Amino acid sequence: MKRRRSGAWRFTALRVAALAGNTFKEAVRNRAFIGLMFLAGAFLAFSLVLSSLAVTGQGNRVLLDFGFFSISLFGVLIAIVMGAILLHKEIDKKTIFTIIPKPVHRFEVVLGKYFGMLAILIVEVGVLSVLWLGLLWLKGAPVTPEIGKALLLIFLEIVLITAVALMFSSFSRPVLTGILATGVFIVGRVVYLVGEMLTARGGLFVDHPGLRPFGEAVVRVVPDLRVFDGSQEVLLEIPIRGSYLVSATGYCMSYVLVLLALSVLLFQRRDFT
Amino acid sequence: MGEVDAVIEVEGLRKVFRGFKSLKVGPLPIPWGQRLRVEAVAGIDLTVRRGEIYGFLGPNGAGKTTTIKMLMGLIRPSAGVMRIFGGAPDEIETRARIGYLPEQPYFYDYLRPREILDFFGKLFLMPRAAREARIDELLPLVGLEDSQNKKLREFSKGMLQRIGIAGALLNEPDLVVLDEPLSGLDPIGRKELRDIIVAQRDLGRTVFFSSHILSDIEMICDKVAIIDHGVIRAVGTLAELLDSEHLEVEIIVRGVSQEILRDRFASVARVERIGEYSRLIVGEGQSNDALRVILELGGHVEGVVRRRESLEDLFVRSAERRGPAVGEEGA
Repeated sequence: MKRRRSGAWRFTALRVAALAGNTFKEAVRNRAFIGLMFLAGAFLAFSLVLSSLAVTGQGNRVLLDFGFFSISLFGVLIAIVMGAILLHKEIDKKTIFTIIPKPVHRFEVVLGKYFGMLAILIVEVGVLSVLWLGLLWLKGAPVTPEIGKALLLIFLEIVLITAVALMFSSFSRPVLTGILATGVFIVGRVVYLVGEMLTARGGLFVDHPGLRPFGEAVVRVVPDLRVFDGSQEVLLEIPIRGSYLVSATGYCMSYVLVLLALSVLLFQRRDFT
Repeated sequence: MGEVDAVIEVEGLRKVFRGFKSLKVGPLPIPWGQRLRVEAVAGIDLTVRRGEIYGFLGPNGAGKTTTIKMLMGLIRPSAGVMRIFGGAPDEIETRARIGYLPEQPYFYDYLRPREILDFFGKLFLMPRAAREARIDELLPLVGLEDSQNKKLREFSKGMLQRIGIAGALLNEPDLVVLDEPLSGLDPIGRKELRDIIVAQRDLGRTVFFSSHILSDIEMICDKVAIIDHGVIRAVGTLAELLDSEHLEVEIIVRGVSQEILRDRFASVARVERIGEYSRLIVGEGQSNDALRVILELGGHVEGVVRRRESLEDLFVRSAERRGPAVGEEGA
């Protein structure tokens, strides 16, 4: 019995890998993805110009700051664009008609899309990181292990936003998915401020107590994306502990699991007419 | 239910699409401004037996594709029971034995024929060597061996249909389900596909296919079901459906105007124009009276042929018994 179950999981893994491979192929053959990659590369190269304009001694800081910003921005942008488009396109272009009747579970289709998108984002973050580290090395900026840890945190944020976009795309159209996922990203970046406002003795939630439940709901539901920002630690040369990386990974994974479960539930109920 | 050689068993299968105002629900058009329910399939029963070529016939919007999509797990039924090979259609083991061609198949247009078939093969968990061997077999079978290096976005509608057929046969399925497989193909392509379908039956496979092209169904099907407005109007072998009760006599007439013939035979015959002649089709029992009237009218009888009812006649007769299945829900 146990053996049979492990066989079933192996088959699931093989089918998810096939679906993810196809999603990856679709993205890398997509001009929008390639265009965004070139734009991100150009953005990074632009940091060289900015760093040369910086106040003496601040050039490396500009390079670091701009690099983190560019990799995070384009990673999230590609995550939202791909998340909004890829699953919807499958339904809109009716290619899903050729997949669902095959011996695959619907949850495998959702997982295949998700892991395919993650594979694209690994390439994206990987290529941009190598390019950026090369620029840092060329300019003689210190390339420390903390930079690698901060990049890992950025990748965790992208992993989470991809799951958010996929969840929205399992029931809404691309434009709405894009708006909602971008909204979660923006609110997630400032949600800690809402938390601080809730504990403050004055301000919005004291003046308007009716808004308090809304604020509390936002703090409970929306992920705090500040968790994934290690750039300040790198700039201030504060070490990022291994235990912090583990807890940030756990925080990310708990959101991803809930979001994927929701995506599967929503996708499971759909009629493909 | 539960017949030993039954491949597809459907009982009381029903699908109701619900929608609000401008929302499109299901494949049927919904007018503005109402909360509507559309009963696309209204409780049908079907049994497809092993080794049959089963034609599922009906006009556009009759419920053919909705029925097939329910069988293929794309649409959840509102009610009813479906079994394929005695099991639930959504079981992985069941689906592994089915090959399916959707209506107007859409494929990943950034892939090449070999790539898409390889991808499908992976979903069937076929080993690499088996996938490659099968693809080598199928591409010439569907006439695409010379187009292997083109991306699917460069393919014509007919070529996409061919790659869809190769996809449906990839896993050497016991049941092949084809939704309008002959549309989009030129006459040679249709002949080739008919041959492929017959060859599948000869290999012991069951073929269930929908069409609104009567001649194709008539040429190759062992059994036919006619669906219209979500209701099965007729089901049986062609011999059973086109039985002797519906023998007709075709009378070719010259010298009497069509208007006079239509007026005189309004209730008993169909009148068609063939050049300068008129063709009168009457029931077998009415042929003597019809001939007498034509002669009385001064007409010349150029020919009299006794003929069996065609599938087209049966289809028209079945469709005439239609009832509406689209209605409003609530106020």
